[in-house]
Amino acid sequence: MLSVKNLHASVEGKEILRGIDLEVKAGEVHAIMGPNGSGKSTLASVLAGNEKFTVTEGSATFCGQDLLSMSIEDRARLGLFLGFQYPVEIPGVTMANFMKLAVNEHRKFRGEEPLTAAEFLRLMREKSAIVELDAKLTSRAVNEGFSGGEKKKNEIFQMAMLDPKLAILDETDSGLDIDALRIVATGVTRLHTPENATVVITHYQRLLDYIVPDVVHVLYRGRIIYTGDKTLALKLEKEGYDWLINDYKD
Amino acid sequence: MKVQEIIRNGEVFRPFAGEVLRIGGSCEQPWAVCDTRKLTVEVAPGASGRLVLLHDSPVESEIRLIVGDGARISVTELFMAEAFVALGVEQAADSRCEITMAELTSANVDYRVAMNGRGAECALQGVFLATDQEHCAVSVRVEHNVPDCRSNSLVKGVAGGSARGEFRGLVYVAPDAQRTDAQQQSRNVQLSREARITTLPQLEIYADDVKCSHGATVGQMDADAILYMRQRGLSEVQARALQIEGFVGDVVRRCDIEPLREALVEAVGAKLERM
Repeated sequence: MLSVKNLHASVEGKEILRGIDLEVKAGEVHAIMGPNGSGKSTLASVLAGNEKFTVTEGSATFCGQDLLSMSIEDRARLGLFLGFQYPVEIPGVTMANFMKLAVNEHRKFRGEEPLTAAEFLRLMREKSAIVELDAKLTSRAVNEGFSGGEKKKNEIFQMAMLDPKLAILDETDSGLDIDALRIVATGVTRLHTPENATVVITHYQRLLDYIVPDVVHVLYRGRIIYTGDKTLALKLEKEGYDWLINDYKD
Repeated sequence: MKVQEIIRNGEVFRPFAGEVLRIGGSCEQPWAVCDTRKLTVEVAPGASGRLVLLHDSPVESEIRLIVGDGARISVTELFMAEAFVALGVEQAADSRCEITMAELTSANVDYRVAMNGRGAECALQGVFLATDQEHCAVSVRVEHNVPDCRSNSLVKGVAGGSARGEFRGLVYVAPDAQRTDAQQQSRNVQLSREARITTLPQLEIYADDVKCSHGATVGQMDADAILYMRQRGLSEVQARALQIEGFVGDVVRRCDIEPLREALVEAVGAKLERM
C-alpha cells in the first residue's frame, strides 16, 4: 500500500529525514517510536505533503501512485489520513460544514455523487458514536474550545468519516487521560480492517496495549534503525533507547 | 434568491428626498429604502422596527435615525455599489439600536451614534470585503453623552488583490457619562502582499467611572488551518474561502431578517470566491 524508499527530507536547509525505508501493507498496523527530535512527526508531515518540508532524495508510492508528486489534498482524497498531533482550531467554521465539504470532495474524487443532507447527518451520527464524541461538538466550530481529549477524539471521528486506506496518527495519545486514551484507541481499533492500514507514532507503550502493532520501528536521527514485533515496544518501555542508539551516536 | 430581489419583493418604501419615514407601534416587516439620499427615520417612543438600507447605486446619502424613548430599531445596511453614506443615530433613553453592515464592494460609510438618553444601547457589527482595486472605508463614532449607556462595535475587514481597507473608530465619553460600558473592536485579514488595511481605534474618555475597551488586529490567513483543511481533502481555494467565511460569517449571520440572512451569506460567499 505504502512503499517508502531512501526518503530524505529537509526543512530550511536542515536535513531531518536521512534515508527512510518503510513498507506498509493492507491490514497491517505499524508503530513508529523513537526519542524526541528523531524525525517521527517530520515523516508524517512529509508523507501527508506538508510543503514546509523539501524532499531531497528517495521515493514514496501509495496505492501504486507516486505520492511525492501529488498535492496534499489529492493524497488525502486518495485515502491518506494524517491525525494531527496538534489539531488546528478554525474559528467560525462548523465541524458539520467542514466535514460535509471534506466527505463530498472525497466522493467527487472517486466519481461518486455528493451525499444528501439526510445521508450526511446519518453518517455523522453513526461515526461520532465510534469515539463517543458529543453530538453537540459537531455543530461547534472546528476544534474551537475543545478540550485536549475532545480534539483527539475529533481527529478519530474525522478519520471514521473519511474512511482512509492509510491513517498516520501522529502522537494521538499525547495529552490524553486514561479514559480518553481508551476511547480514542478502541475507536482506531474498530476502524481497522484487512483492507486498510494504520501507522501510529507514539512515545508510549500504553497506546499499543489497545492498538496492537504488527511491526514496531525505531526512528533515530532520520533513519529507521531497528524494526521488531510488538515485544520491541515493551522492551523500549523498560529499557529506554540507549541500548539501541549507542551505536549511532557520533 | 438574490439580496436585491428579496428586498424588492418585500414591502418597499420609496421616499422622496427629504421625506420622513415614521415608524410607530411595532413593525416587524422589513423595509427596503431605495432612495436614501436624504432620509430621516423616526422611531416613536416604545415602537420597534426593522430597516433594510440597500445601496446599489453610486450615490451620496445622508441618513438620520432618531430613536425615541424605549424604542428598538434594527438596521441591516448593504453596500452593493460604491456609495458614500453618512448615518447619524440619535438615541433617547432606554432605546436600543442594532446595526448589521456589509460592504461587498468599494464604499464609504460614516456612522455617528449619539447616546443622548440614559440606558441607551447600541450594537454595531460590520464587515467589509475588498478585492482588486477596491477601497472600503468604515468609520464609527460613538458618543456617550449621558451616563449608563452601553455600546459595542465590531468591524471585520478582509482585503485581497491590491485593495485598501480602512477603519476609523472613536468612542467618546462625556465628562459626566459615568458607568459607560463601551467596546470597540477592529479585526482584519489581508489576503495578499499588495492589500493594505489600516485601522485606527481611538478612545476619548472624560469620565472616570467607565468600562471601555478597544482593540485592533491585522493578520494573514492561518497557514496551519489551511494545511489542516487540505489534509482532509479540501482544495486550497476551498480552504481559504471557508476560513474567511468563518471569519466574517458570525457577523453576517447576525442579520435578523430571515430570508435576507441566507441571501447575504450567499452574496458574501460569492464575493469571497473572487478574492
